[in-house]
Amino acid sequence: MGLSNLAATPLTGIDITVGLHVHWKIGGLTINGEIVWATVIAGIIVVTGGLLMAKRATSGVPSKPQLLWELIVGAVQKQVDDTIGPRGAKVVPLALTLFVFIFTCNLFEVLSIGSPIDWLPAPTSDINLPLAMALYVIVLVHVAAIRNRGVGGYFRHYYARPFPKKLFLVNLFMNGVEELVKPVTLTLRLFGNLFAGGLMLSLLASLVIWKLGAVPIGGILSVPFTVIWKLFDMAIGAIQAFIFALLTILYFDTAMAPDAEHVAEGDYIDA
Amino acid sequence: MAASTDMVSAVKIAGAMVGAGLALGGGAVGASIGDGLAGSQTIAGVARNPEAQGRLTTIMFLTVGLCEAAYFINLVFAALFVFSLGK
Repeated sequence: MGLSNLAATPLTGIDITVGLHVHWKIGGLTINGEIVWATVIAGIIVVTGGLLMAKRATSGVPSKPQLLWELIVGAVQKQVDDTIGPRGAKVVPLALTLFVFIFTCNLFEVLSIGSPIDWLPAPTSDINLPLAMALYVIVLVHVAAIRNRGVGGYFRHYYARPFPKKLFLVNLFMNGVEELVKPVTLTLRLFGNLFAGGLMLSLLASLVIWKLGAVPIGGILSVPFTVIWKLFDMAIGAIQAFIFALLTILYFDTAMAPDAEHVAEGDYIDA
Repeated sequence: MAASTDMVSAVKIAGAMVGAGLALGGGAVGASIGDGLAGSQTIAGVARNPEAQGRLTTIMFLTVGLCEAAYFINLVFAALFVFSLGK
């Protein structure tokens, strides 16, 4: 018995495909073209906006964009101050850039229509960009940890905490898992949210080919559902951008904390 | 008695669907419990100290985002099962 009769049931008749991209093959690499140009466009938006803002910045009566910018910068600065303290001043630019860039990327979700290949998708809905950003952050966090504690202190940190040194195998295992899990969750959290947003758009768009009542019901339903979902998705995008930046700050906090204080604290927020 | 290709792909699809369903179902239970805890504690906090509402709301949304993220990670794996492994 074949599976062809499965296609006759309403749900499986909806053909949603994921992972279709404009593939560029360069050497042995496959590059997802539309993700690349969406990333470049988002980058151009952020860089141009930032440069214009720097040029136009005034200590007099600020314009509306400047107010918004100052609000964001102030929020990130306050977060870093509250979490790391004055030691973390170097983290502010990184966290700020990550937040603004990811937020801009996530806003592209509004433009997508749920077709198999979106021509201007949210770049963060492909795993490559979140993975790259997460690895970048994690490498910097480890560099900061080594600079803070020295090479010996950096490695001692892995086997002498949180249990006494006698249990160093347990310590090594726990800390190793923690360090490995950090970039993975950082990636998958952002990617999963945005990917799910795109998948949801595909589902809503496929209401139009709903076999039970395509023309009157599905077609009409898909429009308000899409609008509502996109509004919700913009909020998700903002929250995820914020969480990415915040977790960056928290990881830097654990890396930059002085050793004694760190051991005394025992545990810290991790997600 | 060699298994026919139809049978193999049927088993694959069935396994993928069941796996995706389990991942999504379990993830939804966990995420909603987490969201509920965050929300209820926020309400309790605001009831005790109404001035803190602004700060608490921010933290609540952050926590809700973290809780839901676990679910969305599950969703990615479910999509992986259904769209790649089940084919």
